[in-house]
Amino acid sequence: MIVRKYEHPLTNYLGRMTGEREAALDFTQEVFIKVYCSLGSYRPAYKFSTWLFKIASNHLIDHWRKKKLPTLSLDQPVDEDERSLTPQVPDPGPSVARKFELAEIRQKIERALESIPEAFRELFVLRHVNEFSYEEIADIKSLPVGTVKNRVFQAKEMLRRRMEGS
Amino acid sequence: MRDCRSAESFYLYLEGELDPAERRGLEAHLEACPACREALAERRLLHEAFTSLPPLEVPPDFALSVMDNLPEPATVGRRWLAPLIAATASLVVGLFGFYLLTGESLSDVLVAVSRVSGSATGRFLPLLAKMFKVGTLLLDVASGFMMMLGKGLVAFLSSLGPDGICLVLGLGLLLSLLLLLGAKRLLSLGEKT
Repeated sequence: MIVRKYEHPLTNYLGRMTGEREAALDFTQEVFIKVYCSLGSYRPAYKFSTWLFKIASNHLIDHWRKKKLPTLSLDQPVDEDERSLTPQVPDPGPSVARKFELAEIRQKIERALESIPEAFRELFVLRHVNEFSYEEIADIKSLPVGTVKNRVFQAKEMLRRRMEGS
Repeated sequence: MRDCRSAESFYLYLEGELDPAERRGLEAHLEACPACREALAERRLLHEAFTSLPPLEVPPDFALSVMDNLPEPATVGRRWLAPLIAATASLVVGLFGFYLLTGESLSDVLVAVSRVSGSATGRFLPLLAKMFKVGTLLLDVASGFMMMLGKGLVAFLSSLGPDGICLVLGLGLLLSLLLLLGAKRLLSLGEKT
């Protein structure tokens, strides 16, 4: 049964994107209804999970547009502060990871996730919460694989910086 | 140190996304660079946390509530709507086009359409009625004939009894064989000539 198979991954994705469990459950239900109504347009050449998450992603974008939330396009450059955090190794600052135990780090990640731009958060969630491959994410978001890899990396470094600052 | 790797390559290394040559190069560099080893150790812990975020709970009856809220499948009646709208639109466009070409007023066009459709109906309806009547008559005759044949056969077989039926079947079989043999002989004669 499709709903049983995808209710958890979809709720986890939408939950991380909205930051609220109840809203995520409502969104999950709406996405399943959209999928049910669009089944006629599904082509078996596509992987079903990729098609499902493409619908979910578009549903989120529609929701943000309606609410007129500021969204960041993946084509736009990130601000200077965010841009400056990319490759700087070795990092002279104090080790963030060592400050916290793993459970603590997870909690911090959850909080930090809400503060990074949706476009980066979404790619991070698809990669590390839903465990899609970079190629599958590229299909879902219609982006080049290299761009997806780079944006996921940027999302991770944004999270690291935010945790460092907390 | 020279040749220090980017943080991106550390993450890709931890995810197993580097190709073998890149991986070997990174590992060789790590051997000689304590700063990169430290940076990698930090990313390793973060990577472990990234990939083990706790799942959100879904209520056990969630799937059922989704199924209850699915819309009803489209009814048959609705499927007629699109062709009906298309047909009406075509008619309106046709009438308007006719009006533009001939300059006739819309009421004249409508009268002309009704006349044409009236004459077509007047010609074709009697023909259709006659065809229908002849078809019904033929069907009646054929069904009557078949019923009569069936009844006659049943009466004949019942009057014969089991022995008689066996005799008739035997004679029928013999006659069929003779016919087949005769046909075969005729065919072989044809071949010789």
